[in-house]
Amino acid sequence: MEDVVFLLLCVSSAAAAQLCAPDASNGYKVRLSILTALGDEAYVWNDSEMFLFRAALAFAMRTADGQNYNVSNVLVCDETPRVSFWFVVTSPLNPTLLVERRQVEEAVRKSRNRINSAFMLTDNTLEFLGIPPTLAAPVPPSSPPWLIVFGVVMGAVGAGIVLVLGTSVMQRRRQKKKEQTGIEEGEEESRAEGNGAASDSVYNLSFSDDDRLTQM
Amino acid sequence: MIQDARPNWDNPLQFILACVSYAVGLGNVWRFPYLCQMHGGGGFLIPYFIMLILEGIPLFYMELAIGQKMSLGSIGAWTAISPYLGGVGLASVVTSLYLCLYYNVINAWSFWYLFHSFQSVLPWSVCPMNSNRTGPIEECEIATPTQYFFYRQTLNISPSIEEHGGVSTGQAMCLVLAWILTYLFIVRGVKSTGKVVYFTSIFPYMVLFIYLIRGITLHGAINGVKYMFTPKLEQLLNPTTWINAATQIFFSLGLGFGTLIAFASYNHYNNNFERQAIIVSLINCGTSIFASIVTFAIYGFKATVNYENCLERTRLLLLNTFDLAEDSMSIDQVFDWIEKLNATYPLQFAEIANQLEPCNLESELDTAVEGTGLAFIVYSEAIKNMPLPQLWSVLYFFMLLLLGMGSMLGNITAIITPLRDFKLVSHLSDELLNGLVCVFCMLLGLGFTTTSGNYWFTMFNDYGANFSLLFIVLIEVIAVSYIYGIKRFEKDIEDMIGHRPNWYWKIMWAGVSPVVLITLFVVYIVNYIRGGTPTYQAWNKELGKSVVTDYPVFGQLFIGLLMMSSVSCVPLTALYVFCMKRKRGNHPKRRAVSTVST
Repeated sequence: MEDVVFLLLCVSSAAAAQLCAPDASNGYKVRLSILTALGDEAYVWNDSEMFLFRAALAFAMRTADGQNYNVSNVLVCDETPRVSFWFVVTSPLNPTLLVERRQVEEAVRKSRNRINSAFMLTDNTLEFLGIPPTLAAPVPPSSPPWLIVFGVVMGAVGAGIVLVLGTSVMQRRRQKKKEQTGIEEGEEESRAEGNGAASDSVYNLSFSDDDRLTQM
Repeated sequence: MIQDARPNWDNPLQFILACVSYAVGLGNVWRFPYLCQMHGGGGFLIPYFIMLILEGIPLFYMELAIGQKMSLGSIGAWTAISPYLGGVGLASVVTSLYLCLYYNVINAWSFWYLFHSFQSVLPWSVCPMNSNRTGPIEECEIATPTQYFFYRQTLNISPSIEEHGGVSTGQAMCLVLAWILTYLFIVRGVKSTGKVVYFTSIFPYMVLFIYLIRGITLHGAINGVKYMFTPKLEQLLNPTTWINAATQIFFSLGLGFGTLIAFASYNHYNNNFERQAIIVSLINCGTSIFASIVTFAIYGFKATVNYENCLERTRLLLLNTFDLAEDSMSIDQVFDWIEKLNATYPLQFAEIANQLEPCNLESELDTAVEGTGLAFIVYSEAIKNMPLPQLWSVLYFFMLLLLGMGSMLGNITAIITPLRDFKLVSHLSDELLNGLVCVFCMLLGLGFTTTSGNYWFTMFNDYGANFSLLFIVLIEVIAVSYIYGIKRFEKDIEDMIGHRPNWYWKIMWAGVSPVVLITLFVVYIVNYIRGGTPTYQAWNKELGKSVVTDYPVFGQLFIGLLMMSSVSCVPLTALYVFCMKRKRGNHPKRRAVSTVST
């Protein structure tokens, strides 16, 4: 009896060994970069961690498929110091039958986040070679932030221009009033003096400026 | 409308700062470091300073003297020197007009980048995703995210100059903002410009200083600075080095645009511009050197980061291929491991041999870039790797904006001042005239915001000013030295500042500078003819890089038009004046000249 059991075990493990091999048709290679991700807080990869991985994968298969996958359905082989290995998943109904590649991929994709967080890793540091990670959807902002800053600056500059133009218009009006009263006084003076000789009025001052310009 | 007296700067400091603000521009930041790198690092300073003494300072002095003496813009000033030479002033105005048209586009880009720096993730640091969300956009993958942001999201560039497209709205908005800001700065002429230059000239130095501290404390910056300052003295034997030094001094000081004449015309008659000319020229050169130290610190940082990323990728590749433990190989051991693995597993190694990138720090440092590529692509790439990139980005693009605006003030003043002197427009108020000029330039400048706009921009940048300026300044120095006469010029200067210029100035004006300028002029023409068809860099989205392309026929014709249109002003005006004089017989100089100005 024990011999039979022993034989069965050997056969099953041999079969398992045959089911899981590098470049297996329905298998995936997994690569973990624990040191890169966690630095000083990195944990050591040992059998317990491997057990967790197989359990997580069984969880993923259960979530996707509905069937009762167990840790024993996840076979692992070819472990390397890199911390990379191959795995295959066998069907719970028939331990010699491998689950299709696509199904495994779907399951992994669905529960990727849960698997990642079990190991405190990310899509980049826990790689399933052949299963590209689904990229996060970019959140479009309600209004592009640059427009807001643009609006602020444009408003400030516009306000500045209005201010400057406004003050020059007011200055000009004040000057005109002064000139008008100045001209009237000047004209009265010149009328009184009887000649248009240089007086203090603004009008004559500008004349001398004109003279300078025409000297070109 | 009563004519006001000519406005003046509030104090000589404003004049100095205005000249500094004008002369210290983007060229100091993106052209000089490139030249330094190409021509032997620290050794380039020797021809640079020699040329400064031989042509830079004397010509700068001369333009200031003319402006201050005549108290008129470039057209009026040259007409006063000799009625036949009014064309020189006109050529300056035309060249300044071309410059104004395209220069503010750079400010528009600075605004664009500045506004986009107010985000948690800088948009040029990551590639946006494609519509399927399976990966980044292809064009961005092949090129780099910074290039993608510049060529696609900023410019939306077309594959060649022949293919037109619509105006890019974001660009157009930023250009409008740039012009409105320019108008705000010059709206009241010298009165407003004089106040603005305090800020536009001093603030960039503060930013440069902050960047210097940041730059030299960056990881790997010392590689860049060492690389730049190691003089390769054999480059001094190369004549191109001297030609480039002379040309750089020339353009860096902004000679020939009429800006210096315009600025100096607002000086009081007895302002001592001799000292100011020397001070401004030295400040300009000092700034170039200062800016290149910063640039090379940043280069060194960027090159080191790229080199280390390359090593990291190689390390990962080796780890993954040979399934080695992560802590078995550190970055420094990559090269040793490559040799070891090649020896022990030659077959496996051969499989990945084509994926191995050659990681070389020297070649990373060697990528010399100038112009908009340096400012907007290389610098943005360096900034995104710094800690707290948003802050550095905002500071940097704000500095670029101020440098550009400072130069714009000078360019616009060079157009407005001669226009003001014409009786035709003198009845318009300051604000109205300035506004009209700004609106005119803005509307034409919108052409540079189209999809092929960047190619037109490059055309204007490369051909719009260089040839005409050499010609203009050559005529200027010959006119002052031989037509107006050194003796008369000496007396004018003595009249203004109280002493005659000493023998150094006179030798330079009459002898050395004309010789240098004629050499530059001849070399430029020879290079242009020998260069064959003019080419430009067209962005190829499939390859993800710029490809050298010939200009089409209409492009070459337009280049010719650009170069000839300003140069031809000189002979045409002389001819016109000659004909007018003959028609009206021998009238006194005054009358004939006033005909020209109306």
